[in-house]
Amino acid sequence: MALTETQKGIKTMLRRLLIALVPLVCLGIQPAGAQQITEHQLIGSLDKMAAAAPMVDVGLLIEEANSNAGRGIAALPNWSVLAELPQFAVDIEFENNSVAIEPQSYRTIGVIADALHHPLLRNYRFLIVGHTNATGKPEHNLELSLQRANAIKVALMTTFSIPANQLEAVGAGQEWPLDGTSPKDAKNRRVQLINLGPAR
Amino acid sequence: MTTRIGAVGGAFFMLLACTGITQAQTISYADAMSLLSKDCGADVKKFCKGLNLGNNEIRNCLEGQPVSSQCTATLASVTASIERRLAAQASVFKICASNANQHCKGVVGEVHILQCLIKTERIDSAKCTQAITDAGWR
Repeated sequence: MALTETQKGIKTMLRRLLIALVPLVCLGIQPAGAQQITEHQLIGSLDKMAAAAPMVDVGLLIEEANSNAGRGIAALPNWSVLAELPQFAVDIEFENNSVAIEPQSYRTIGVIADALHHPLLRNYRFLIVGHTNATGKPEHNLELSLQRANAIKVALMTTFSIPANQLEAVGAGQEWPLDGTSPKDAKNRRVQLINLGPAR
Repeated sequence: MTTRIGAVGGAFFMLLACTGITQAQTISYADAMSLLSKDCGADVKKFCKGLNLGNNEIRNCLEGQPVSSQCTATLASVTASIERRLAAQASVFKICASNANQHCKGVVGEVHILQCLIKTERIDSAKCTQAITDAGWR
């Protein structure tokens, strides 16, 4: 029996309602309690690019960091430019002294992938900056933070197909603490995402 | 009869959607990673120490180990969802090009074209609206 227009309309409405209900019914997906960043927060912060973004040379950042291990880098010429660019800091947990991202932080990598693929951001180039706190040797921290930033870059490039020309990675080690008065505090461990301007 | 099949089908769809992801939909990369972490996190810690998300290290590791059946199922559905979403995001503007030409004349920039296509959804092709849905851009 052919359906009348009203019946079709009701069927479509029911179908939409069912689809809309699924996320509500399945709220078990996210771990409770933990502070979760969202794709919208990331896009909102990273999308605010000034017309004339300063040029950043990633090679110079690495040089400056390597020759200043243990002495801080935030005030150095190339690093200080980064403060002017749209950015967002996230927490990503790694296995101890390793570049392996902990499963509890997989979601954060996914959120970054959602944001970087969005039409608002997908034509920009991003710098991933790894930071440690000040325990252990500064040189080791510099190297570990670079490798960890690279691990995030590789995950975004391979698992989530973000084009290679859109991603750069550097390590800041312990040289740019969030809180300079307590450099050993775990809160200094973080990953910054910085918008470097249009991808070329 | 039709209604009953519809109701049963709906319940089945709900069940599938809650146990993982149906083959016919995509979820955000964030939700995909939450599922992977929830259903495979313990197996990753047990079998894949030191390995990373990138370069398929975790996927290859899990596929070669006696992981839980829930992890096996989730890994497959999460992988399929990511692939489908990536493909949709890469091709939305190609698939919707003729709709955009027709209904969004003079609209410039991907973001604005996307907004226009979402507004004109009722007259866009099924393929175009499906691509926007799969891309997660509604």
